[in-house]
Amino acid sequence: MSASWKQLFFQILLLLISCRHINTKTPGPTSPPLDPISPLPTLERSYVLKGVSHTERVELLNPVNLSLMCTWAGNQNKPSNITGFWRKDGEEIENSRVTVQLENEQYNLKQKFSIVSEENLGSYSCVFGGEAKIDFDLAAPQIGDVRDKPIVSYVGDSVVMTCKMEENKPKPNTWNWYMANDTGKEQIFPAAEPQRYEIKNDGWKTKLLVYNLTEADSGLFYCGAVYPISTTMSHVELKVISFYEPLKPFIAIVVEVIVLVAAILLYERSQSKKDYTAAGNGPGDQTNSLTPGENNALEESSSMRQRKV
Amino acid sequence: MSPAPADQSARKPLDGGWGWMVVIGAHISIGFAYATPKALSIFFKEIQEDLGASFSEIALISSIMLAAMYAGGPVSSAMVNRFGSRPVVIVGGLMCGVSMVTASLGTSIIYLYFCIGVIGGCGLSLNLNASLIIISKYFLTKRPLANGLAMAGSPVFLCILAPFNQYLLDNFGWRGSLLILGALMLHCCAAGALMRPVTPPHTLSSCALEKTVEEQRNNGKTRLKRSCMKSAKTFLDLSFFKDRGFVIYLIGNIMFIFGAYAPIVFLTAFAISKGVEEYSAAYLLSIMGFVDMFVRPGTGLIANSKWIRPRIQYFFSFAMVFNGTCHLLCPLIENYAFLVVYAVFFGIGFGMVFALIFECLMDLMGSQRFPRAVGLVTIIECFPMLLGPPAAGLLVDIYGDYRYLFFMCGSVILTGGIFLFVMNIYNYHMLEKEKQNQVRASEVEMKQTPEAAMGHTEPEAQEKNGVLRDTRSERAETPN
Repeated sequence: MSASWKQLFFQILLLLISCRHINTKTPGPTSPPLDPISPLPTLERSYVLKGVSHTERVELLNPVNLSLMCTWAGNQNKPSNITGFWRKDGEEIENSRVTVQLENEQYNLKQKFSIVSEENLGSYSCVFGGEAKIDFDLAAPQIGDVRDKPIVSYVGDSVVMTCKMEENKPKPNTWNWYMANDTGKEQIFPAAEPQRYEIKNDGWKTKLLVYNLTEADSGLFYCGAVYPISTTMSHVELKVISFYEPLKPFIAIVVEVIVLVAAILLYERSQSKKDYTAAGNGPGDQTNSLTPGENNALEESSSMRQRKV
Repeated sequence: MSPAPADQSARKPLDGGWGWMVVIGAHISIGFAYATPKALSIFFKEIQEDLGASFSEIALISSIMLAAMYAGGPVSSAMVNRFGSRPVVIVGGLMCGVSMVTASLGTSIIYLYFCIGVIGGCGLSLNLNASLIIISKYFLTKRPLANGLAMAGSPVFLCILAPFNQYLLDNFGWRGSLLILGALMLHCCAAGALMRPVTPPHTLSSCALEKTVEEQRNNGKTRLKRSCMKSAKTFLDLSFFKDRGFVIYLIGNIMFIFGAYAPIVFLTAFAISKGVEEYSAAYLLSIMGFVDMFVRPGTGLIANSKWIRPRIQYFFSFAMVFNGTCHLLCPLIENYAFLVVYAVFFGIGFGMVFALIFECLMDLMGSQRFPRAVGLVTIIECFPMLLGPPAAGLLVDIYGDYRYLFFMCGSVILTGGIFLFVMNIYNYHMLEKEKQNQVRASEVEMKQTPEAAMGHTEPEAQEKNGVLRDTRSERAETPN
């Protein structure tokens, strides 16, 4: 009797060990919710595949129990059963392989996932027999309108950088701003340096004001829209230049204009002197410093003389 | 008045030679005048973010600049009459340069209104009017061509400034860009240097002595001052309203300006509403500007031909009718290809009208009365220009559809064109009648007192209807 009890005890122990082993290996696609008091809401997404592959975007705000269902009509030869499995970010999920039966000329794959934090987001794919697949891209609302050109500002000046979430998407809880440095991103806290930084959050928009710019402030700034599930990032590039940069082309152009004007006026003076000496004595004084008015009076008289000739 | 008219007709306009350099100067000057208010809008988004202003507050900068440019017309004309075109354009160029440079240091939107809007606008108005006036002095037989070439400056500079401003903005931000743009606008001073005076500046104004330079210096100064004062008070000469041709031109012009700018402002938005992508929609305006660039000198060339020149007012009304019809047909367009066709025809129509708009005024008024006339016309045109786009915008807001905007603009321009056509027929008919009456009257007088009549009728005929004399002499002087 004790031997059979021992065997039973040993089997139960083995069972327990293997169960725990499964539990600790991956967060587990079918692991139960951790918080029994407020269970996660359920969300269902499904897609019927017509071709061989498709990508579906799923926008998530809060932690959910996501149920994904894939349906495939099959190709020319429709075997009665094929293997289907799930992938996350390209890697096959453990123990997700199942045999799918052909029902009503269709193959169905269904799986529940617990999406609680940023690691759970990503690309989930259901694959039918290595031929057809549907990708579900899970992500928090993305910022669409990203400014690709840098904002240019000047040393000692102040600058306003904005990030905007489209108003048809859910409103972020709050916004965070980060500065890029050698070790990645560093969050900006205006309270620490109120003379330098100020953050104005306004629902779908956020503004970072930086005062008293220096050339060291050049670089990438990141804004993050905070949602319960994760934070979506966008970036703005800042370029700080000194005032001498535009001053150089400015002075060059001013000098060029002065040279042009001088050249035109000198040419005119030389032309009128030529006419004057060619025409001989014209009316009026014969001073060297002729004003343009007098120049033209002489020109007029000389041209009239030419007309008579 | 004075025997000046006899002198003027003896002094034939150059119609070539240095005149073409003056056309280049006018091209640059007019180019900056029309292109700058539009090209500045590229900076508006950046300025808006930096100064924390709303979109309508920023757009007001352009409006103030355009309003100042048009409203400064009479002052500019008076100054050109007094000093000649060259100093006025040089001062205008300096004002523009200074306005942009000071604006680059701005920290509030009111400061920008004053710097760019008021000072910049005044500088541009000095440039614009002085350039037009000097063309009227240098050209007669080739004047439509010269006008077409000079007015082509507007689309050329817009096509150059728009991408250039974008390049400046990407590299220097809006402050540095305004600084460099200010330096560029100093080229108006170089353009002014090209505008050699035709005659000594004093002999052209009504307060001048028409004798030689010597007499001016000797006894001219005191008399000059007193009569200058008189003319300065009357620079807004309302006697023009008694001239039938002027009033007809003015009414037609007001109708055109009211409907002209709104389609440009809303074309991109209309295209986007029809499903066109944003870059392709912006491309439509570039197409229009590009076509405009070539149409203006082309129209000038056509208007110069011997068939069109005597009937230039009818050609102008045809151009307006063409423009109006274009706008009326626009709402029927549903796809991008036809929008491109519309943009091309719009460019053609717009270019034709603008090439002729000042040429027709010169044709009506003659080179003597043109300076004051153009000042009056530009200040009156200020109102439809400022009211047109907001009225069109209101239509869009009420009906939520761009169709009614195009219907309104098209119908107003079309009506203006037809009005001009009909009224010009009437005007020329009346002028012919008046001429016949005068000829008959002078024949009667000649029979009675031969010598006295010879001395009387000529200056009388000249004085009574300056239009008649000018159009007759101009029609006589179109050999090609």
